[in-house]
Parts: sequence; C-alpha cells; structure tokens
Amino acid sequence: YRDLHTFELQAPTRLIEWARGSRVCVAGYGQSDGNEILQLIPPPTLLTKETQGLCPERDFKVECGGFSERPVYSLKYVPDTSLLVTSGPPDSSLQVWQVSAEDSDVIKSVSPIATENDTGQSWAKIATISARAPWVLHGSRLDRVQITEVESRKNVYTAASGGSEELSGLAFLDCNTLLLCCASGRLCLADVRQPQSLVEGVSVPSAPCSEQWCMGTRHGAQGLEPSSQPVARLSSRGLLTLTDLRKTSEFLALAKARVPSPGSGAEFLCVSWAPALEGCLAISGFDGTVHVYDTQSWDSSGREAEPIFVHKGHAFGGAGGSGDPPLVTVHTWHLQKPRTLLSAASDGSLHVWDWVQPCGKC
Amino acid sequence: GAGQDVGRSCILVSIAGKNVMLDCGMHMGYNDDRRFPDFSYITQNGRLTDFLDCVIISHFHLDHCGALPYFSEMVGYDGPIYMTHPTKAICPILLEDYRKITVDKKGETNFFTSQMIKDCMKKVVAVHLHQTVQVDEELEIKAYYAGHVLGAAMFQIKVGCESVVYTGDYNMTPDRHLGAAWIDKCRPDLLISESTYATTIRDSKRCRERDFLKKVHETVERGGKVLIPVFALGRAQELCILLETFWERMNLKAPIYFSTGLTEKANHYYKLFITWTNQKIRKTFVQRNMFEFKHIKAFDRAFADNPGPMVVFATPGMLHAGQSLQIFRKWAGNEKNMVIMPGYCVQGTVGHKILSGQRKLEMEGRQILEVKMQVEYMSFSAHADAKGIMQLIRQAEPRSVLLVHGEAKKMEFLKQKIEQEFHVSCYMPANGETTTVLTNPCIPVDISLGLLKRETAIGPLPDAKKPKLMHGTLLMKDNSFRLVSPEQALKELGLAEHQLRFTCRVHIQDPRKEHETGLRVYNHLKGILKDYSVQHLPDGSITVESILIQATAHSEDQGTKVLLVSWTYQDEELGSYLTSLLKKGLPQSTP
Repeated sequence: YRDLHTFELQAPTRLIEWARGSRVCVAGYGQSDGNEILQLIPPPTLLTKETQGLCPERDFKVECGGFSERPVYSLKYVPDTSLLVTSGPPDSSLQVWQVSAEDSDVIKSVSPIATENDTGQSWAKIATISARAPWVLHGSRLDRVQITEVESRKNVYTAASGGSEELSGLAFLDCNTLLLCCASGRLCLADVRQPQSLVEGVSVPSAPCSEQWCMGTRHGAQGLEPSSQPVARLSSRGLLTLTDLRKTSEFLALAKARVPSPGSGAEFLCVSWAPALEGCLAISGFDGTVHVYDTQSWDSSGREAEPIFVHKGHAFGGAGGSGDPPLVTVHTWHLQKPRTLLSAASDGSLHVWDWVQPCGKC
Repeated sequence: GAGQDVGRSCILVSIAGKNVMLDCGMHMGYNDDRRFPDFSYITQNGRLTDFLDCVIISHFHLDHCGALPYFSEMVGYDGPIYMTHPTKAICPILLEDYRKITVDKKGETNFFTSQMIKDCMKKVVAVHLHQTVQVDEELEIKAYYAGHVLGAAMFQIKVGCESVVYTGDYNMTPDRHLGAAWIDKCRPDLLISESTYATTIRDSKRCRERDFLKKVHETVERGGKVLIPVFALGRAQELCILLETFWERMNLKAPIYFSTGLTEKANHYYKLFITWTNQKIRKTFVQRNMFEFKHIKAFDRAFADNPGPMVVFATPGMLHAGQSLQIFRKWAGNEKNMVIMPGYCVQGTVGHKILSGQRKLEMEGRQILEVKMQVEYMSFSAHADAKGIMQLIRQAEPRSVLLVHGEAKKMEFLKQKIEQEFHVSCYMPANGETTTVLTNPCIPVDISLGLLKRETAIGPLPDAKKPKLMHGTLLMKDNSFRLVSPEQALKELGLAEHQLRFTCRVHIQDPRKEHETGLRVYNHLKGILKDYSVQHLPDGSITVESILIQATAHSEDQGTKVLLVSWTYQDEELGSYLTSLLKKGLPQSTP
C-alpha cells in the first residue's frame, strides 16, 4: 500500500457514489426504518494530488443527510440538478431527493416516481444522465425498462421487451445509447431513438450451475466513442468477460478470478474499470477483499488470472471473530487519483486505499 | 464554544430557581476582552456571588477553566466552585503557565495575577466520582467519568425532581490511558452535550497512530530529530505510551526525551490519580507503572545539541514560547528534522504559522528563521462523534437534548436524527441565546389512608394499568402536601361545613287545591321513579330521597300552582333531573 485509511460508518452501505465537488455519498440498507443517506466531504488527503501522511483533516465530514424509510440499494445523482434518485425494496419505485447543502444539512424527500408493480418484482436498477433533460433510466426487469424525465415525471422512453429476466445493471453509454445487463449475463443495447429494437450482445458461456452476472462500464472517458470501450461482466463464480460492443459476436477476453467457492451469492457483486489506468479493473463481493486486475494481458482462453493487487483490509478489521466475516459490499475508483479506491463492507467499514504498482509498470 | 474552534465554554443554567454556571473558559484566539465570557449577561454591575448558587468546571483545558481567576477575582465571585480532584490539582498549574506566557512574554496588563489564581483555587471544593454533593438544601450535584483528559467529568445538577446533565468534553471510546465516558440511566430533563465532532466520521485511531509512528520512525532512521510540542497534560501521555510500546516492539535505540519542569509534575499526577486512568493501566500498574517509561528519559537543555537522532516532547504545545520554541529554533534549519504538532494551534503562535505553510519566521530582534525541517500535524484529540453522542443519549435517557455548537443550520440533520430515534426535543442555541426547556415537575402528595380506602371502594375496581380518579381536599401546610377527605380537612382547619340548598320554582297549570296538586305530583313521581324512595308527608310535601317538593298556590293566578323543589348541593344531579321532569308537566288523568 501507499496509503490506507479506515473509517467506520454508523451503518453499512452498499453504494459509494461520487457527487459534484468531490463529495461521496453512502446510504444504509438495513431492513428496518431509519436508513440514512449521507453526503460526505472526503478529507483533504483525498482531494489533493499528492498524498500527505499527516494532514490537518483526515476525517470525512457529513455535509448533509436524509432519512429513508426503505433500505437504499442504489443511489444516483441527477447531473446538473440538485436532485438524487434512490431505489430499494420492496418494489421498483424510485425515491427522489433534494440536496441543498448551502441552506440546510437535511436531504429532503421529494415525491417518488411510481412504477407499475407486478408481483415478484425486485428493486429497480438506475442510471442518470442530463443530456436533453435530466433523465433517469430505471427498471428491475428487462421488460420494464423505461426512462423518466426527473422534473416533469414524464415517461420519455420504454424499451421493447426482450424477455422478463431480472436486470443486474443498466447504463447510458451516451445520450442515446443504453446498455442493459441481465442477471443471467445477457447484454442488450438499445437506442432511445428507436424504441422498438433491442440489440443482443454476446451471451456468456453457459455454466453447469446457475450463476449471476453484473457489468461494469467505463465512465467519463472523454472524446472516445462510447461503444469502443469494452464492457466487463463478472459472474458469481468469478468468471470475467470483456466484450467490445462493436464486435458483439465474440469475447475480447475471458478470464477466471481466484475467488472462494461456493461464493457468497451475487448480492454485492461489483466490477469497475479504473478511470485513469488503461485496462485496469477491480472486482469485489466474494469475501472481504477487493481484487485489482490488469486486463491488457488477457486472452479468450478463460485461464485463471493473477490480480495485481488484493486489498484485504476489510477481512482484518473490526471486532475480530464475532459473527460472519465482513463481506465487501461495494467499491469504487477515485476519479482523479489513478490508484486510489474506496471500498465498503457489511460491518460498516469504509476504506480508502492507494496501492503501489508492483514491478513499476503503469 | 464555537464549533471546532477552541472557544470559551460557559453555560448558565437556571433550574428550579437555582443558577448554576457550567465551565468558565477562555478563548485563546483573542487578545482582548473577547477572550473571556461576557458576564454582563448575569448582571451589569458588581459581584456575581448573589446571582449564582455554584460554578462547576468540567476539566482543566483552558477553554473550559481559563477565565476562572478573572471571573472569581476580577469580576467577583465568592461562592463554591466544584471540580474533580485531578482537575483541582492540575488547573492552577495550567493557569499559571498561561499567565506567565501572556503577561511575562507578551507583556499584557489586564490579566489575572498569580495571587488571584491562588485565591481562586481556595474557593474550590473537590468532588469524587459518583459522589452526591449537597450544594445547599435543595441543589445537589454528582460527577461522572468523561474520559477525554485526566479528571474530566460530566456533571448532573439536580433540584428536587428536575435535573440537568452537562457533559463538558467527553469521549465514548477508550484510548491508551483513559477509559470511555459512562453515565447511568439518570433520565435528566435536559442533557447538554458538546458536539464538536458530531458531523465527522473519524479516521480510525490505528491508521492515525500508524502514520504517526511511520513518520517518527522514518525521521529517526535517517538520523533526524523529531520535536513534538505538547501541553504538559493530556495527549502527551497518550503519545508517550504509544512511542514506548513501538520502541519496545521495534527494539529502537534512539533516545526519547520528555522535557522537565511542568511535565515531571504531569507524570506525577497521572500516577497519583491512577484510578482515573483506564482499566488496563490500573491492572498493569502493579507489575509495571505505565507512566514509568523505559525508553523515555528526562530532557536536559544541552541534549538539544547532541548529534544523532532523537525524539523530544517539549512544552508548550503551540511553540509560542519556552523550551519547545528554543528547541525548534535550533532544529528548524535542518531538513532531516521534523516537528509534529499534535493539536490545535491558536492564531498568532509559531505553531499556527508553520502549519499554515509559513517557512520564514520573524523572531525577536528582527531575526529571520528559515524553516527547513518537515512540519506535520497530527490530531489525537478525544471527542465524541455522532455515534458517541447517540450512545450517551441512549445511556442517560434524557427528556430533551441541547447541543452546544456554533452553526445551527449545519446540525439540522443530527437534530432530526436525535428527535427521530429518541423522541425527545433537541435544541441548538447560538452563543448568547437562551433556551427554555419545559419540565413536568412531580409534586409528591401524601394521601390519608382513610380517604384512599374510601375512594378505592367507590366505582370500578382499581386497575394497575389505568389511572383512577379520586376526589379529596388538598391541604398545603408547611411545605407538605396532603390529600384528605373533606370532613377531615374541615375538622383539622376548624371550619364548619356550609350547607347549600337550592330551591327551584316549577309552574304547573292546576286549578285544584294545593294538597290535591301535591297528591297528583306524588302519584306521578311514585309511578316513574320506581328506584327511588318517594314519600308523601302528612303536611302535604313530597320527598324524593332527600329532595323536598311542596305545592303552593300562585299569588296572583288561581289556576297555577307553584311547585317548590328544593335540594342540597350534594343532590344537585337528582334535583336537576326532578325539576326538568316536573317542568314537562303532570299527566292529565290523575285522581
């Protein structure tokens, strides 16, 4: 490590979202009422380019907070507005919130975005963009994907139905292109201007036992054709596939991560690309660790890949031995500092770490 | 106090007619009158003895006791000042130290003198933890362990059944030499809590310590010297234990020094007040005194010139004068050396200047000092964060909470959090603001056994879950409250009971003679009021229970009879009922 800071949140979070002004947002997902949404100001150590060892302020400050009656499983800020959207069980409706940090430190609840709720629907996955207007893309199933305009609550797009599978993630590749990932691993592309068609991506290698998949897309790579960035998919068995969206008939790469099996389920599976390191991605959700891989050396053989770094901090933290070992619930990369990541675990810990590249590469 | 700034804490509480002052701190950022609290809030003129029942000091930090000699000797207060034993022992040392620097070094004139400090401390009454102290017949106080620094306490102030708990500065997690704050379920009407770190999520202590040790180790390894300016007491002990343990573990040879004078006394006090330290220290004290360090020796001025690596703890903490400044000047020019500031530095001090990035300092005699040594900051202060505050509220179960903090708008979230979780009101006054907290005082009343027996016999059976309504007479005599039956009250007071009798006139159309009307009424009532005793007396009047009805002739109108219905106050209900019944008239066909 070059640096490691550990913090303890009052309640564990399963999301870490970046907001304007380098703010970080976390939220509770416990079953009972009284989950808090916290918008935090990271310590100056995270904001400056060079790492300072001892610094006047090493702590996160709670800038503002809100109270959610339901567990918060997903949260996305709506760009260019002071709103954010959350979702969580028991249904697929969305909650909208107003953040006005200058006036008060309470994140206020604004009226929700309702959706039709058939039985058996789980919580909605969400993505936001503000191109033509502030939009939120949401849905819990492949046949329930829609885009709602946040301020007017108008529905501006409904995706053609490609099946009723559960979604594990969705994203805006650009202001017209959507990428949908199902828990079965199926990847679909859609164009907002053509609501009737859904383009299939490469499906994943079929497996003897059922596994669940999630995806990671590269955000914010400026000036590049969005569909030229490979999409990573991670399965609950540790399989990783990279797909180039322009050539969806084959995999760019296929590898296997060394993860414990049987896995702990797909609840917290998370894969993300490093914004500032070419070809680096991180995975978590199998145990108390976060793995970082360099995919540039990967091929399509499906061989086991060696991580270039493993963060084990969460497994060692906390009151040793009491109850289940903590499970990493989410991780995210720092947007500017190339090798800094934030990760959170089920015991409420929040780590900020900066790793040293072995062999001086990258 | 104002937020994270080292402010001047001073809170006035009025409870059941008693006035208590909580803390009397000094603001070290100002050099004029603003450094002291504004006592004109209490009274515009003269001494404060008559206006305050007592003063309580929570701990020895200057932002909580720094203005005490000014308050008691220069403004004027002769009443009792309460604090814990360690605070009483250590306070005068810190006050004298600060006085010396302010007056002797800075040449200030409007400041308290050494004699004033001594006179002030004569008014101090030391208290033990969990000891109930009677300030006067009605006011009592009790101290609870607060962690934070040696001798810091939270105080409960109680008058009758109303109470307030003031936390001072406290810490809910134990550290290397002090335990965590603790309070019982005392259910005060109001809990006043400091909320300095309420909106902070703190970096783990382990990371902080690890980084501190890493810096010290790196400097010492390359032959540099590390200067750690500290206040004599407080975090210095924590850092000493930390370094001692690290040196032992890593088998390091470089010397660690603790500067003499004030600091010898400090370690002496920690040994003296060993019961105030945490459990681990108390347990190991028998085998090895934690404050008897193997690797830390007393410093001598000459050592500063010795070649080679070393670590020195020197006072005072902000590099504003004294030994730490002397050493700093000697070592500042060498980039291999390092100075680590372990706490907040007030503006104007060298400590503050170098932390702000200044690298060329003007010293006395216009000398410029170039600072090439590394400057680091490390905060080890022990305050409760939001989680800690919630924990304390959960322990004490107050009926309302008051947060002492500067920026009210930034605390709305915590306020809502407290209100939602505990269903209590939460107040956040600004400096100078008054908050009124309504309490429901309980007034104990004795009830006479006879009355109790009688009342419980009436009506439905007593139910443990439901309140029962009882009637009696409340006698307030000589500060005692008693509930007795009316008869007993009259007897005790030597009063006779008044008899109230009501008479109502009901007009009835009946041309016959009075006694015939009377008979009609009798028969009518007898027929209707089957459950009551209706009697016809020889003189023609009718009685229903104790109510008397007489038929008389109307003075002017032969065809009208006037029924006089008369009853005592106790029979009001029946009397009214009869009257309305009779007003409806008599049935036609009666003999």
